[in-house]
This record gives sequence, structure tokens and C-alpha cells, in this order.
Amino acid sequence: MLDDKKDDIFLSRWINGGLSPEELNEFKSHPEYHHYAKIMAGADALELKTYDVDNALNNIKSNKKNSLKKNTKPVIKLWPALAVAASIAILFGFFFFKSNDSFTTSYGEQLAVILPDGSEMILNAKSEAIFNKNDWKNNRVISLEGEAYFKVKKGSKFTVTTTNGDVTVLGTEFNVQSQSTYFEALCYEGKVNVNSGKENTILTAGKGYRKIARTSSENWVFEALEPSWISNTSSFKSVPLQYVFKELEDQYNITINSNGIDIETIYTGTFPNDNIEVALKTVFSTLGLQYKLLQDQKTVVLDR
Amino acid sequence: MSDSKNSTCDEQAFNQFFKSHAKLLRSYLYYKFGDLDQAEDIVQDSFIKLWNNCAKVPLDKAKSYVYTIATNLGISIARHQQVKFKHQNYITQRKSDVTNESPEFVMLEKEYMEKLKKAIADLPDRQREVFLLSRIDKKTYREIAELSNVSVKAIEKLMHKALLTLRKKIGNI
Repeated sequence: MLDDKKDDIFLSRWINGGLSPEELNEFKSHPEYHHYAKIMAGADALELKTYDVDNALNNIKSNKKNSLKKNTKPVIKLWPALAVAASIAILFGFFFFKSNDSFTTSYGEQLAVILPDGSEMILNAKSEAIFNKNDWKNNRVISLEGEAYFKVKKGSKFTVTTTNGDVTVLGTEFNVQSQSTYFEALCYEGKVNVNSGKENTILTAGKGYRKIARTSSENWVFEALEPSWISNTSSFKSVPLQYVFKELEDQYNITINSNGIDIETIYTGTFPNDNIEVALKTVFSTLGLQYKLLQDQKTVVLDR
Repeated sequence: MSDSKNSTCDEQAFNQFFKSHAKLLRSYLYYKFGDLDQAEDIVQDSFIKLWNNCAKVPLDKAKSYVYTIATNLGISIARHQQVKFKHQNYITQRKSDVTNESPEFVMLEKEYMEKLKKAIADLPDRQREVFLLSRIDKKTYREIAELSNVSVKAIEKLMHKALLTLRKKIGNI
């Protein structure tokens, strides 16, 4: 009932014809009834200015091309904004029309990039990838310096070029690492073609390829489903120590003074990418070397 | 709205979609933001956006797409200019309802109607929105609830409150 404070939808039900006959009769004899009835009669007599739907549709048709240009504000107000808009447009132009897109990671960083076709690229620390996004559909080429893991959407040929060689695929998951004289490609799914100088190698899933400096290339089989660095661990299998140091330096932004260490020593092992103490300890203790981190937290020297 | 192409890029489907949704969207925006001319501009801009992005918006998503865009446009405009609900020239009394009455009665009614319109304009935003969608656009509580994504019960409460507020404003004429 109207006077019942708990019934907070009474009038809604009345409007809707949702009252029982008894309720309705009772309401009709209520002193307030005729006031509400008048409000409703008045409200129901209201109408909105008519809307010319066809005309509005035509307006849209004629406006479609120069899309949202139309503005209800007077033109004169736009002038100061125009200068700003123009400079912003030019600025944006640089970003949008610059044909090359480049992504760079710094020490200890990782960066996941979705490429224009939906393929994924995850950059490891201290790496740079450049590609042409305008021509991406026809020409999937990425130039890489450092290390990256790729999950490639099926489609046209996908090529990763590095100074050490090219890796080509048609849709798969693989990892490429290329630094100075170190070149490594791991295939996690599908098939990849590795081209390094005169050599051409086809890797199937679970196969790896590596070429260090001028030594001959080697192939091996592995079982991991994705590179360990994705989960913040760097792992090495029979790798000359200098490249292990390089990775430590890239991950932690430190300098390792390798005086007195044979950097050609072959190293097999892993270290975490998120804990410098553990990482240094793991590498150096397995080599039987004492080390210390200098005050600046940036330089590692042998402690003799 | 049974279009086999299922795409708003199809001109036929787009026209059909516009004709069945533009009017209510216009009312909705007007009640929400208070300016009918502005509401019509927003409707136009929203549908142009839909057309330009038609490849990405299937027909069954198009309604919520234009409503979202339109509401956002309305909010961003409202943020810059605080609009009071304008009812002059926008809301009128149906002509047929005032014929066959004595001039005195018409006068009184006119006075009453002005007072009523003023009271509606002064309603809290949500109450006014619900009240007008129900009274002018003849939308059911369920339809109104779907537009603003709330329960039917919430709409019924707002409607009840709107009437109480109007009654208080108008007093005893």
C-alpha cells in the first residue's frame, strides 16, 4: 500500500497494472490517488520532438566519409586547437608511419611483443629486434641482436635475420640467440631452417643448432618445452665461459673482470636471472673460483 | 533483424539496424545528458563510428557497441559543460489531448503541464531517465533495465521514487 514504507515499488506496480483488484480499489479511495492519477495522465500526454529517422540516416551516409569531423562547436573555437592538433598529428605521424618498429630490452629485462599478425616474440635481456610493420603481411622479417623466443602464427615465411645467419620458418616456436660470435637456434615446435653463412640446417622440434666463433657448428637434442630464460633461468650446455659471463653481465648489468680466468673453459649449468647472489655463487663455485662483488655492486673480480 | 550476413558492413543491414535503434538511443541520451540536439549529434557520431568499424563489430554486438560509444561521448561532453536538463521545445504535449476542452480548462491544464515538465526536469538524473523512458518511449521496466544493465527491481524502485518526488514537487493544484 502507498503508506506502507516497506513497499518501495507500489507506484511502479500501479503504473504497470500490477496491483491486485483489492489493492487498486483501496488506492483509489486514498486521498492521494487523484494527484498521482493526474501526474500520470499528464506524463502520458507528453511526447518528444519528432525524430526524422530517414533524415538522420541520410546525414550519416553523407558524413560517413569524412567521419567524425563534424563538430557542434563554432569553427572559430577550433583555430587554437588546430595548431595543437596539427603538431600532435605530425608527432603521431612519426610513430605511425615510420616503417620500422624497434623493441629494445635493457639489463635484466624481458619484453613480450605481439607482432602485427598475432605472432609472439619474447625478448631476453639486452636484446634488440627491428621489423617493418607496414609490409609485415607480405614480408615477415625480423632483424635480431641478442636473444628472443618466437611463437609464430601460421602463414607466409617468417625470417629472423642476425649478423650470424638467418632462421626461417612457416609457423612454429623457436628461440634464436645471436651475440657477437655466438649463434644458437632452438626449435620447440614445427620445423625451422637455419642458414649460417654457407651452412643450411633444418631443425625439427626438440633439436638445437649452435655455432660459436669459427668452430664448426653442432647439433643436439633437448627436451624442454620453452627456453628456460622465460622462467627466469639462464642455462648453458657446454658453452665457453665467456658467453656465460656475457649473459651474467646482460642479466644483472655488471662487469666481470675475467683477468686470470680461462674464458674458453667449457661450462654446463644454470643460474637464476632474478638473484645476483645465487647466480654468481652458482657459476663461480662450480668453477672452483673465489670472487667478490665490489662496493659499487657493478664489478666482479677474482678474489685471490 | 534476421540478417544472414551478420555484418553491419552490409548497407541494408546497417540501415535496418539504424532505424530500429536510433530513436531509442536518442531518447536515452537525451534523458541522460539533458540536451536533445546534442543527443542527436552523438547518435550520428556513434553510428558513423559503427560504420567505420563495421568489419570488427558483428550485428549481435552492434547494439551494445553503439550504446557504449554514445554513453562515453555523452560523458566526455558532460564533463566539459554541466548541462541542466532542457525540456523547452523538446518535450511537448500531444495536440490531440487538448482539443474539445473549455479554454479555462486548457489554461489550467497548460499551467499544470508546465509545472509537471519543470518537476520532471528537476528529478534526480536516474529517476528522470527511467520515468521518461517508461512514459514517453513506452518502454517496459525490463527493457529499461537491460539498457542500463541493472535489475528490473531497481527500475521499479526508481520509478516509485520518481512518482513520489514529482508528487512532492507539484503539490496540490
